Amino acid sequence: MNRRVIAILGALLVTGPSIRAHHSFAAEYDANKPVKVTGTVTKVEWTNPHIWFFVDVKDAQGRVTSWGFSGGPPGVLQRRGISRTALKAGDTIVVEGFRARDGSNNASGGKVTFADGRSVFTASSEDTVPK
Amino acid sequence: MTQRNRIDARRRRVALLTAAAVATLALWVAASQTAAAQSSPAAGQVPRTADGKPDFSGMWDNPKEPGSRTPATVFDGSKMAPFAPGGEALFYEPRTGDPRHDEPRAFCMPSGFPSAFLGPYPVQIIQTPQYLVMATEFMNVTRIIPLDGRPHKTDIEPTFYGEPVGHWEGDTLVIEAKNYKRWSLDDWYYQNPKEYRMHTEALRTVERLRRTDADTIAYEFTVDDPRIFTKPWSVNWVMKRHPEWDKTGLFEMVCNENNRCEGGQCRGSK
Repeated sequence: MNRRVIAILGALLVTGPSIRAHHSFAAEYDANKPVKVTGTVTKVEWTNPHIWFFVDVKDAQGRVTSWGFSGGPPGVLQRRGISRTALKAGDTIVVEGFRARDGSNNASGGKVTFADGRSVFTASSEDTVPK
Repeated sequence: MTQRNRIDARRRRVALLTAAAVATLALWVAASQTAAAQSSPAAGQVPRTADGKPDFSGMWDNPKEPGSRTPATVFDGSKMAPFAPGGEALFYEPRTGDPRHDEPRAFCMPSGFPSAFLGPYPVQIIQTPQYLVMATEFMNVTRIIPLDGRPHKTDIEPTFYGEPVGHWEGDTLVIEAKNYKRWSLDDWYYQNPKEYRMHTEALRTVERLRRTDADTIAYEFTVDDPRIFTKPWSVNWVMKRHPEWDKTGLFEMVCNENNRCEGGQCRGSK
C-alpha cells in the first residue's frame, strides 16, 4: 500500500459526529466513547450505503474479538480517488473510532495507523477531525 | 479613364464593399453562434444558454451556508418565524420508540426535500429551455422541474419531494414547490434524541437561484408553512461549482444494497 493510498484512505472513514450518514450517527454511535483497536482486516464490504470493514483483534490471552467499522459511501470515496483496493483483508491496522451505543463491537472509524507506523486522520475534508 | 472603365471600377468597389460587409456579418454571426453554443464565458462571468438565460448546468457542491465547511442539514432556529397558534406542536413531533417512526432513513426511507440535497454529496444540474433537472448523489434523488411556470396540480397525492415548478424573474430562477407529504423538515432528529422537526402538507417552498459568478450559485431558500409559522422565513445558501467532478459524474447510491443499520441498530459485527 503506497503512501498516496494511505493518505487517501485517511479521508475515507466516517469519523466525527457531524458527518451525514444515511442513518443517525448520534443515535448509533457515542461520541463520548472512543475506541482504539489493533488487528487484522478480515473482510471489506465496499458497498452502499456505507463501506464496512472487519478487524480481528487478539488480546494478551490470545482471545480474538471481531470488530466492525463503518465508513463513507463508495461513491464519495471513489470521487476522492479511493478505490475498493485501498483496504484489503490481511492488512494490519490500528483503528480509532466511536463505539456503538448498544455496546456491540461496532464503531465508526476515527484514525487508522498502519503496521509500519504511518498514521492518518480519517475525517473527510468537510467534517470534523476527531479530537 | 473611359466611361466604361469608370463604371467597371465603381462596380468593383461596390462588389468589394459588399463582400467585406457579407464577410463581416458572417464572422459576427459565427462568433455569436459559437459563443452561445459553447457557453464559454471569460473567467468570472456567468455562462448563458443559447436563449440567453444563466446556465446552471454543471456539478455542484451541496447548498450550504457561505464559508461553511459542514452541511446545512439542520435549520438555525433563530432564522425561523414565530409559531402560529398550534404550530409548535405540529413542528416538534416526539419520538415514539418505534424505529420506523424515529429513524426512517435507517430503513432507507426518503429524506424528503430539502434534506436530501443538503448532505455532503454532489448535485448535478442539467438545464434546457423547458426543464431544469437537479440530481443529488445521495440516494440518487432527482427533481425534474418544468420552467414554464405552470400551475401546481390539485389532484395528486402529496409526496416526499413535493411538486416543483420553475419560472424566470430576469436572471433569477424561481422554483416554487407544493404538494408535500408531512415529513421531517430537516435532520434535527439526528441530533436530538427526543423529537423531530416536521412540516405539514401545507408546506410551500420557494427557491431563488442566481448564478453570481462562474463558480457560485446564490441560493435563497424560503419555508412557508402557514399551519406552523406566522409567516415565511428564509435562509441563504451558496452552491460552489466543481468542474473536476464532471469526469466521473454522479455515482450510484443504492441504500438497500448493504444496509447494516436497519432500524438505526447497525449489525456490523459477526
